[in-house]
Amino acid sequence: MSSPALGSARRPWLLLAPTLAVIGILLLWPMVRVVVLSFQDFGLRELVRGGAELIGLQNYRDILTDERLWRVALPNTVVFALVCVVLTVVVGTLVALLLHRLSPGWRTLVMMAVMAAWAIPAVTGTYVWVYLFDARAGFLTGVLGQLGLVDVATQNLFTERGWFYAIATLNVVHHGFPFVAVTVLAGLVTIPSELPEAAMIDGANAWQRFRHVTLPMLKPVFAIVTILSTIWDFKVFTQIYLMPGGDGSNREVLNLGTWSYITAMSQNQFGLGAAIAVLLTVLLLVITAVYLRTLFKEEEL
Amino acid sequence: MRRLLGRGGLVLASVVVVVFSIFPVFVMVGTALDPAANAGGRGVIPSGISFEHFGRVLSETRFPDYLLNSLIVAVVTVVASGLLALFAAVAVARFRFSGRTKILMMILIVQMVPMEALVIPLFLQAKTLGLLNSLLGLSVVYIAFSLSFAIWTLRGFVAAVPVELEEAAYLDGASWWQMFWKVLFPLVAPGLVAVSVFSFILAWNEFIFALTFMADDDMYTAAVGLRTFFTRGGTDWGAVMAASSIITVPVMIFFVAVQSRLSSGLMSGATKG
Repeated sequence: MSSPALGSARRPWLLLAPTLAVIGILLLWPMVRVVVLSFQDFGLRELVRGGAELIGLQNYRDILTDERLWRVALPNTVVFALVCVVLTVVVGTLVALLLHRLSPGWRTLVMMAVMAAWAIPAVTGTYVWVYLFDARAGFLTGVLGQLGLVDVATQNLFTERGWFYAIATLNVVHHGFPFVAVTVLAGLVTIPSELPEAAMIDGANAWQRFRHVTLPMLKPVFAIVTILSTIWDFKVFTQIYLMPGGDGSNREVLNLGTWSYITAMSQNQFGLGAAIAVLLTVLLLVITAVYLRTLFKEEEL
Repeated sequence: MRRLLGRGGLVLASVVVVVFSIFPVFVMVGTALDPAANAGGRGVIPSGISFEHFGRVLSETRFPDYLLNSLIVAVVTVVASGLLALFAAVAVARFRFSGRTKILMMILIVQMVPMEALVIPLFLQAKTLGLLNSLLGLSVVYIAFSLSFAIWTLRGFVAAVPVELEEAAYLDGASWWQMFWKVLFPLVAPGLVAVSVFSFILAWNEFIFALTFMADDDMYTAAVGLRTFFTRGGTDWGAVMAASSIITVPVMIFFVAVQSRLSSGLMSGATKG
């Protein structure tokens, strides 16, 4: 290790300088700024003239006493995320188990279709689901009508909170299951085939083999896909904002992400919007921390 | 294994997964090609094949400008984040200095910060710096959000280059920078391709910052520009789907090709024996 590369003690810092500058200015400073903002009364006047008054916890008090948080935004965020995570992980795992059993030719075919689902951008994918459930022209609205679940002549699904979030769930699960499928499949191929075969000889059925062989061996894989899905599904923004009414015109379908954005950008209450964003981030951190803790506690036993 | 779910069952399950997976893209492209897309029928099978919606979108709307904006932002993001990440990856993979582990950890942790949580402060910052309505301002944000992943990926590629190759370059009289461009850069090119795909897709698909930063409709990116087809008079679904297809399909083909190769490599490597 006597190359001239190590001669200069300054070189690594020189190489790191642009990256550190970008991360510092565009990620770390805004993180500080969003917390500071959440303690400020920052509105249109402050946006134009600069300077803002510190008002302590007033923004948080306003949010926590707003019945919109408890009745609308929090359930729309938490219940929606939980349903999406469970469905995404279950569907993704089933697809992974299927892919694992297919012959190479079929596997390539199915894998390419799954990749295509993964590659659809959130924006264009959302517009397709909106089109499919459109009141006037939607194919799936028609299907639901024929099943007698919807009155096609009078109902607009997007105005009803339950239907709105059911459609959003379909969108998010469709977008999210490929990552789970590919990751779980990568785990499945590492399990030596002797293990499930031995279990089969011992008379274990498919569910027992999955429950007692596959699941324990792939616990770290399931942990990572569940944590990542939880983080993604809690902060869903684009898929909600782009649905009819999701941009704030229908207050019943706000979640924490869209509420924060609309409060800041449409109503120019930047301090209040920042406080909602901080609340969402803290919620996310707490859930991830609790989850990691239970995981490591079980490891110790 | 095959006893429980027979051959017929496997085929049926495969068909269900394939149909569910490609259904949205099928509807997108089918509607884009359907001359009767705006007639209000509930079908998803095109009544015919016509390129009239594509023609209208590309010649009578602002959409080509939006595509160009997206392309500029994506290319600036790919080039700048690739270069910055390569510099940083070399620093952490090739040098031992105090604070190295701390910097690596910090880069890993900032990756977990949700983009959505930083929209408000970054909007205010960009406004102060006069970077709103600017393609550069938007690119800079995407560079920041793609750097972390790029550094961690490239670090592995740089570490895999044998130190002996560098030393051989020095023996031939090369300076450090000559060695960097002539020896390291070509050898980590495959890694640069991988991170470029990631940062291109991030910049090409991103919505919330593109929506927030670009108030002026000259500066819309393609993903935000789709909104202009939704008017008070109704939605031009043919145009929405034609423009969506233009945004989605090239990236999808690229992504499927790259990912299938990655995954098949993974499968063939792991299933031996």
